[in-house]
Amino acid sequence: MQEFDVVVIGGGVSGLRAAIAAKRAGASVALISKSHPLRSNSGLAQGGINAPLGKDDSPESFAADTVAAGDGLCERSVVQSFAREAAKEVLWLEQAGVPFNRDQVGRIDRRRFGSNSRSRSCYTDDRTGHIVLTVLYEQFQRLEIPAFEEWFMTSLVADGGECAGALALGLRSGKLDSFAARAVILATGGFSRMYAPSTVSIGTTGDGQALAYLSGARLMDMEMVQFHPTVFPKGQGLLITEATLGSGAQIVNQQGAAIQTQSSSPRSKLCLSIAKAAQNGGAPVALDLKPIGKEKILSFFPQTHELLRSVAGLDCTKDLVPIYPVAHRPMGGIETKASGETSLAGLFAVGECACNGLNGAGRLAGNTLSEAVVFGKRVGEAAAAYAKSAVKKNFPAAKLAEEEKTLAALASGDSSQDSLRAVHAELGGLMNEKVGLIRDAGGLKQALDGIAQLNERYQKIKVRNTGRIYNYELTTHLEIGAMLILAEVVTRSAQARTESRGAHYRSDFPNPDEANWKSHTVAKLSQGSTQLEKKPVAN
Amino acid sequence: MQVTFKVYRKDPEKDGKPGRSNYTMDVPDGATVLESLFKIRDEMDPSLAFRCSCLRGHCGDCMVRVNGSSRLTCTAKVSAYTQKGPEIALDPLRNVPVIKDLVFDWDAFMWNKIRAVKPWLESADLPANGETLVPDAAMRDLRKVMSCYQCGMCDEGCTVLPVDFDFLGPAALTKAYRFVFDPRNQDKKERLKIVEKPKGIWDCVHCYEADEHCPRAIEPTKRIVALRDEAFRVGITNDKVARHHQSFAASVKESGWLDEGRLAVESEGLTNVKGLMKLLPTAAKALTRGKAPIPYMHTKRPDADKIKKIFEKAEQVEK
Repeated sequence: MQEFDVVVIGGGVSGLRAAIAAKRAGASVALISKSHPLRSNSGLAQGGINAPLGKDDSPESFAADTVAAGDGLCERSVVQSFAREAAKEVLWLEQAGVPFNRDQVGRIDRRRFGSNSRSRSCYTDDRTGHIVLTVLYEQFQRLEIPAFEEWFMTSLVADGGECAGALALGLRSGKLDSFAARAVILATGGFSRMYAPSTVSIGTTGDGQALAYLSGARLMDMEMVQFHPTVFPKGQGLLITEATLGSGAQIVNQQGAAIQTQSSSPRSKLCLSIAKAAQNGGAPVALDLKPIGKEKILSFFPQTHELLRSVAGLDCTKDLVPIYPVAHRPMGGIETKASGETSLAGLFAVGECACNGLNGAGRLAGNTLSEAVVFGKRVGEAAAAYAKSAVKKNFPAAKLAEEEKTLAALASGDSSQDSLRAVHAELGGLMNEKVGLIRDAGGLKQALDGIAQLNERYQKIKVRNTGRIYNYELTTHLEIGAMLILAEVVTRSAQARTESRGAHYRSDFPNPDEANWKSHTVAKLSQGSTQLEKKPVAN
Repeated sequence: MQVTFKVYRKDPEKDGKPGRSNYTMDVPDGATVLESLFKIRDEMDPSLAFRCSCLRGHCGDCMVRVNGSSRLTCTAKVSAYTQKGPEIALDPLRNVPVIKDLVFDWDAFMWNKIRAVKPWLESADLPANGETLVPDAAMRDLRKVMSCYQCGMCDEGCTVLPVDFDFLGPAALTKAYRFVFDPRNQDKKERLKIVEKPKGIWDCVHCYEADEHCPRAIEPTKRIVALRDEAFRVGITNDKVARHHQSFAASVKESGWLDEGRLAVESEGLTNVKGLMKLLPTAAKALTRGKAPIPYMHTKRPDADKIKKIFEKAEQVEK
């Protein structure tokens, strides 16, 4: 058994920042990550990281833009403190080694991005996530924090209403181990892989949210799933940063005529107008990057140019790039306070797996990375402080043997001829069609029935690979299980919200309902079934 | 189209011996190698192990050899590898310990070596105005180097690693470059001392294979050469290497070409008796095989004075 003050699950930007902060606060810390941290989904973020560093900018203006994008569901106090701290965190990243693009006088350059009213997205070409992740991992290594890389969390351990740690499977050793902790921080990322296509990496499967939910933590605003407007939708889906729009790219129809000039609209509005244009004309919508100019494309968007060539076979300095809105990042997640505390004592959550009310019903473009570092630091420190004051918990040693049995049971007995991949693909298609950009009561009902059927099929599929070392069939099985649990919560939450707001658009309730729905949806598991309640937005 | 994938196999939980499994399937137009691997694992052989993460060319995790060339399986289209026939061989990277099937030991191959160069910035506290002012040109070079997604292709192509697995290799040395040439870094010398040790920058044979292999045109060899120059510039280079360089340059400057006998002796050091003794067997062999003239005379080449002038001009420029 391993024992630490704070165990961080997830090696993306939030997790690394939290681990660094907790360690600096004096806690003994370990990081568990199912992939190598440098392979995590944070590395896919491109356009920028928001901070009000401009002379014409202020935390107040930044907060106002964040609240506007959140469309009525933001927790103002959370937004305000976030807007005040973002600049300091970006400067910390600069000091830690991020080679931000610079302006003429050598200050950190900023560009206009999405519905920000100011140029406030600091950036490193179009690889901001990759480089921020790299630098955080560098500083993480500097502190010599024990890292359990390629370890897959199989369970959270809760005892007497408190979180006492986690169980995880070492992919390389094939061994299951217990991680006792005074505080556990979940930084496990989003769940957009329940949609197909999506913009995310293979591991973005909501494992953290599902395990927290099963352990008694509550989930909030799960119906709010942000679609990204400018994605090459074939194959796995390739996101093209919205910063291209701010730099002059245009959304056009097949003839090359501009169909959407409001490049500063919130993502949800852009997505709907692209979907509408595609439906009306029946012709694909495209992104025209040519107005940016070849030289500028190659110097500011080198990765976009490279990946469009290798993934789509397109030269974006010459060709139009077909686009369609694709599932990107959820706003919803594990309900937390601004300190990251969840409804389960000793369990913290941060980043995309968490929901503290910062993003409301829609996330402002460029806020994902800022959120990850601002709250990563804050939650890391809060967890370290909690660990210092908390009494040592009893880690029920029997849990390890029970978990061994659970995993063995997944691999025993006859499997149906069905396939995990088919179940996952059908789930992705179903969610995209019925619980996607445009929803209605009939579709949501069909989605729930469909998820139930997929769940039945899933239960009959056994893990056929009996080996333990790098058994990706086993981890895939667990991930699909997590997504099926969360898909039901997302759909039920979408069903409950009989209005349209932010990323949640109901064609049968196309307007916001301020009188009844200025509330979060909160889901909790009660006697095996999902219970939903409203939680008013605090103002 | 029917394609047979011939996949390298090894199972540490069975006999641990390398083998190969063949999987034949219909591959749709435009399918990638990674999609085919998913299909194999899901429908044909759940025990097959391979890595991947981002699925679209961002992260470098799914690097394997496809018909002998290292490729990211997520962007490699099957149709690009079937022109000579409907068979595709999939193997782990060369010269790397394999754990299971296509999953190899990234730790031994690359991560541990990167860790050895102290891969983090040592920076001063925040200046009073809150941010370090630096010209974009200095940052642009670092951004280029940091666009590295650790795919390992440079190390895979390296010609030193197959004969000396302990060589730090181009990936780790390029990581070191990122700190040595970051104007915000406070301990450039210490970093140079790490990579200047045996198994570091002087072991590179500048074959330029790393540059050829790098999919992001980061030019690791060029970075290693820059580290060498910088080590010289700040005067912390290993004595023998410094003497070798000085002797090489002095010989060409004086005679127009290389005096190999002098180079060997001066590199060891004129007072280094032990080192000089080690040269004797080589010298004796060279003599008996007619590779060294007797008496040993090194003559100037024609127009040697012109070469000398080039040197003098270069020395002026350097000043």
